[in-house]
Amino acid sequence: MNKALKSLNLSRIGLNLFIGLLAVFILGPLVWLGVHAFASDWQYPNLYPSGLTMRWWSKVFLDSAFATAIKNSLVISPIVVLISMFICLPAAYAAGRMNFFGRKVFMITLFSANSFPKIGLFAAIATLYYALNLMGTFVGVVIIQLLGTIIYMTWIPAAAFAAVPKNLEEAARDAGASKFTVFRTITLRLAMPGILVAIVMSFLASFDEAQGTYLVGAPGIFTMPTEMYSLVQNYPIQVAAVFSILLAIPSVLLLGLARKHIMGGQLAEGFQLK
Amino acid sequence: MSKEGSAMGLELKGLKKILGGRVIIDDLDLSVNQGEMISLLGPSGCGKTTTLRMIAGFLTVDAGQIFVAGKDVTALGPDKRPSAMVFQNYALWPHMTVAKNVAYPLKIRGLSKEETTQKVEAALALVNLMHHKDSRPGQISGGEQQRVALARALVQEPNILLLDEPLSNLDAKLREKVREDIRQLQRRLGITTVIVTHDQEEALSISDRVAVMNNGRIEQFSTPHELYNAPATEYVATFIGSLNRFEGDLVNGLIQPGKHVTGIRPEDLTLSTQAFEGSHPGVVELIIPRGHFYEVVVKRSDATFRIFASENIPAVGAQVHVGIKKSLRYLNGKLVA
Amino acid sequence: MISLRSKKSKEGSLTTHGGGPSPRSLVGLALSLPPLLIVLIFVGLPILIGLTFSLGFTTGPNRVIAIIGQQIHKKNHWWGTLGAYNDVIHDSRFFGDLRLTIFVTVLSTTLVLLLALAIALYQRLIGGRKAAVLVTLSIVPLFVPVVISAWAIHTFYGGDGFMRTFFTHFGINFPTLTSTPSAIVIGTVWTSLPFAILMISSGLQAIPDALIESAKDCGASVFRVIANILIPLAKTPIIIAASFTSIGILGSFTIPLFLGPNQPTMLGVEISNFFGAYNRPQQSLVMAFIVFAIASGIAVLYVRSNIKSAKESGRL
Repeated sequence: MNKALKSLNLSRIGLNLFIGLLAVFILGPLVWLGVHAFASDWQYPNLYPSGLTMRWWSKVFLDSAFATAIKNSLVISPIVVLISMFICLPAAYAAGRMNFFGRKVFMITLFSANSFPKIGLFAAIATLYYALNLMGTFVGVVIIQLLGTIIYMTWIPAAAFAAVPKNLEEAARDAGASKFTVFRTITLRLAMPGILVAIVMSFLASFDEAQGTYLVGAPGIFTMPTEMYSLVQNYPIQVAAVFSILLAIPSVLLLGLARKHIMGGQLAEGFQLK
Repeated sequence: MSKEGSAMGLELKGLKKILGGRVIIDDLDLSVNQGEMISLLGPSGCGKTTTLRMIAGFLTVDAGQIFVAGKDVTALGPDKRPSAMVFQNYALWPHMTVAKNVAYPLKIRGLSKEETTQKVEAALALVNLMHHKDSRPGQISGGEQQRVALARALVQEPNILLLDEPLSNLDAKLREKVREDIRQLQRRLGITTVIVTHDQEEALSISDRVAVMNNGRIEQFSTPHELYNAPATEYVATFIGSLNRFEGDLVNGLIQPGKHVTGIRPEDLTLSTQAFEGSHPGVVELIIPRGHFYEVVVKRSDATFRIFASENIPAVGAQVHVGIKKSLRYLNGKLVA
Repeated sequence: MISLRSKKSKEGSLTTHGGGPSPRSLVGLALSLPPLLIVLIFVGLPILIGLTFSLGFTTGPNRVIAIIGQQIHKKNHWWGTLGAYNDVIHDSRFFGDLRLTIFVTVLSTTLVLLLALAIALYQRLIGGRKAAVLVTLSIVPLFVPVVISAWAIHTFYGGDGFMRTFFTHFGINFPTLTSTPSAIVIGTVWTSLPFAILMISSGLQAIPDALIESAKDCGASVFRVIANILIPLAKTPIIIAASFTSIGILGSFTIPLFLGPNQPTMLGVEISNFFGAYNRPQQSLVMAFIVFAIASGIAVLYVRSNIKSAKESGRL
């Protein structure tokens, strides 16, 4: 009995140690950077800054280049998401509830288009953009970001639509509702959590998109992520820290709202090829 | 049955289990003879499944001891206990063939390939499933899956076999056949067996003894005959078979107000168009066909009775005479003379 | 999840009356066209055109880039030229990069899988609050844009980062990990963990308790339960996690850009260098196709394992 207790204690210590290490591994970099956003001066090897200040925040908000980048991000991403919804949701509905010729091929094509290394793809797209005169244009950036949203805006809502039990729709029809009413009040409502997750993931895919936008947007268009690339080389770490927090806010907010559904399996369910 | 000096098949002493702050099982005792087949019977929530899982080792006991074939297994995990369970949904592993499913416990014990094959085939032959030994669980029927689960349990040569609601997932026709098969198999092998069920017909038809459970306690542990004819508590009387239950005493063949509770089995009532000794008149309210007999609902001056009859069935609204052959009397839930 | 099997006709969703697809089927096809077209035009087409450009076709859509870029090889056969491919293969930089890329991909994928499995198994078998904490921690990187993650990790493991700061107080000279392959591994593991955990954890959660209990009832120890029951039954999500993770790391750009050495670097960064800074777009595309080829190989393995597991469980 003593041996069992001892090994239980050891394993409990081991477990707590593991949790601690994981916390440092995951949260450490974020906290370390976050504190820098408020640090007036931080000499190595101090474990904390000499003082706290908000002046880096005003520096960021007053800089026109940064402000432009922030504006670009906040304008482009919602547009991308709306276009994505318009293009993809009908397809998602079809894939989820209709069985059409070539459905499997359709889903796998969309899937594989997204599973290829992005930077190479962007290089190839850039080649096409030169010919179409889309380099450094607003439209060019929108298309690039749109590509990243398609996988989310098709697969996840498709799974959500497919999961609506047919007998619920049938009961509504039986009660006298027209096809459109059934869609609006039953199907769409029940699939809404999945659609919301898709919207959140798509918005973030667009908002955080850096590689493609970097390749085809520069030097005319900078969004917040691509601004980071040059920012970290040319400005003090505190500025990068402030910008990071700003860039992270939409992420944290949106994913925090959708957290229940993501961890509840909408995301994982959507990607199960069964 | 039990021999002088030999160990009991299963002994539960003072078992207690608390789940979610509630006392589910309190001070439960049970002694099962070696080779006996018993049922734990009761509605959901009565604690029968909790008890079974404690015997199997999936739940720890908060107090008390469990002895299987004379050995104290209370502190052992399910992998170390000499028990084998057939789960309600069979719990076959879908990625293994039938043969591999059955072979798994032997693989763990490190048996040689030849010995494993021999024992697996013997077990599958016992349940008549040799022809499916290379199939996957997903390819065979529910009844066949159950037989695989049974074979997998038997191949472990356990001291005690545990069956969790073995018939509840089968359709009615299959149920009777499987019932018989299980009974015959158990008789042949002589393994102490505990069945958990909510179906009293099932329990009564195959068990040597039945433990009727209510709120974590065993109200009565007897043979089916005794349970039916001398139910020790009101609860057992109403749970087993049908019962006409009245609050009051039986005086001169009529139910009168009184401090007892009177119970009368439907077949212990006599129905006739003519009056007879001890009978009292009534009117037929409803007739329910039940296959080879009828349930006749008769309203008398003192009470309404449900009567089983198989011939000379009167029409609805007819004047009839009802007499009481035998009754049970309860005071504070317990059977009194 | 989406079933890729055809829905049975008894559900009434598809009945083809002899000869040709039903009208419903045509509507479905029409609705699905927009995203498909976008993908075909902006992914399929560039890939094809890029392929031709890499092989030396410099007219038509490739005209502009052929003028802008340097060291362009023009086709000298009907099928093109292998000039650019030759350049790349004989470029010492390329092989260094390829080695590093594969090394980092294999190492990171392995680490991610081990970590995700450990946490997900603990959650499945024991559960409780500590398991929930572990899973929540592992999901945090999902909430952070990659650019920020890369930069945060850079400051954490850098010359005056937390690690060095912390250990200096104990008199230990912790190495500066930034601009080394180790930092790339750390970064890719950090960013890949959430998806792997979500996949593997949902796969394990889907396994009914009874399958674990029946194994224990047969005498299986915890290790046997994990090796014989849990991992085989969660094989598909595990392979999905492995495929997605490795393909993602293979072509990663931001993490190695911020965290890795300049030479050798991961192929994702090199592709960008060649396309932009060195102005050698043709060679850049050649490298891209080589990465495509490797990624496709992984994707094929993934699809084959899906089909195999569907066959095994009798669904195909």
